[in-house]
Amino acid sequence: MNATITVTILSSIGFFAGLMIYVASKVLPKEDESLAEAARVKEFLPGADCGACGYPGCFAYAQAVAHDKQVFAKTPCPILAQDKGGMKKLEDYLGLQAEVIVGKKAVVHCTGGSHSIVEYTGLQTCAAATQLASGFNECPYSCLALGDCVRVCPTGAMSIDQEHHVAVVDWETCIGCGLCVTACPQGLPELIPANTPQYVACNYQAKRDIPGRKRCPDGCIHCHICEKVSEEGAVTWDEKKDLPIFHVTQVDTAIEKCPRHVIRKTVAYEEKELEVVGSAQETG
Amino acid sequence: MNNLFVVFFSMALVNNMILAKFLGLCPFFGVSKKTKSAVSMGIAVLLVMLISSAVTWPIYYYILVPYGVEVMKTVIFILVIASLVQIIEMAIKRTNVTLYNALGIYLPLITTNCAVLGITFINVNQVYSFWEAVFAAGGAGSGFLLVLLIMSGIRERLEFSDTPKAFKGTPIAFITAMLLGLSFLAFKGMV
Repeated sequence: MNATITVTILSSIGFFAGLMIYVASKVLPKEDESLAEAARVKEFLPGADCGACGYPGCFAYAQAVAHDKQVFAKTPCPILAQDKGGMKKLEDYLGLQAEVIVGKKAVVHCTGGSHSIVEYTGLQTCAAATQLASGFNECPYSCLALGDCVRVCPTGAMSIDQEHHVAVVDWETCIGCGLCVTACPQGLPELIPANTPQYVACNYQAKRDIPGRKRCPDGCIHCHICEKVSEEGAVTWDEKKDLPIFHVTQVDTAIEKCPRHVIRKTVAYEEKELEVVGSAQETG
Repeated sequence: MNNLFVVFFSMALVNNMILAKFLGLCPFFGVSKKTKSAVSMGIAVLLVMLISSAVTWPIYYYILVPYGVEVMKTVIFILVIASLVQIIEMAIKRTNVTLYNALGIYLPLITTNCAVLGITFINVNQVYSFWEAVFAAGGAGSGFLLVLLIMSGIRERLEFSDTPKAFKGTPIAFITAMLLGLSFLAFKGMV
């Protein structure tokens, strides 16, 4: 008897609550047009909620676009900008052309050549490992390969090269959101323009030598040869870190002359031409 | 009439939801970083507390008690509060987009806020009359809003103060909460 009453009361209250929600959805005025429009725009977005566009999430970006279409034209979604088909669909829907932007990609400034000097058995995150004397590698500025960047990467572009113990970026899937840059306690990843043909794979900061620690056999020896053999302005020197900075100009001689072969080529080097993303025109 | 005010102030200050009963602690730390969002959350909780108390009181005394199934109060109260929040969210979404954007995620979060469920149980346990229950809910909601407001004000100023590095962020917030709780202890002598 008691069980019947219990079941009846619970199910009838549940039914009544459901009914009330249904009635409320019918009686209340229709959803505001801007929200409905934002929901339609969101259908075209990748839905990664990475925040690279400057808005807190895909829905907030969709709301901003629904409010003012020029938001999309001026700051296209960086993920969508790499997908020409998806870009075209949203451009057709909004009836405008987005500005051509050169996206950004992450690179890791480390070769992984530094070996461990102690056996680290603590918490397996880079953030924890760096709390103790800048990590367990001989080079205090090196990649610890414990994968803090891998865990934050929204697209899985980051991975650990198990052979060399270093984080590597897959430029095909990297969306340039910069989450790895903030996650890395060593400050190794950096966002560079997607048409930069080369970067230096070393982060050894010679002006901040730590006693008893040294750079790996692959590391930059700060000889400035890359700066000397390249044309004016192609390579600048980061005085603070004592490392070269490479720009869009391709520096073949510098790559050749580098005594440590620490200048790495990017995807843009092989393609030779500038990788322009965000354009609706089919470049072929 | 006098009794209603005693109930109101005792719920707001002496038996403060956050600092004396330790209910609703997640929004207390999660939403108290900015005054604006803290106030939105506080007002939303106040509203839901008032409505849910007014709805669950008749359900308890006119349905559950006569049939002798008071044990069901947990599941039924959760059911009622969850659907209420759904309806309120829908109403705000359809009528006022600005308010909907301002409240954002906080409205659905209230569904899982223990302070709302807590106040309905307190009403039942203290055997409050209908108006006492409503005033208790109003007091609890106002107390929640007050503490959230104070906490967010302190945390906003802490951002600019010279905190030791190890205490930056959440640790100093915990210490602030402790001091705030101690100061609210003084209200114990009031009622």
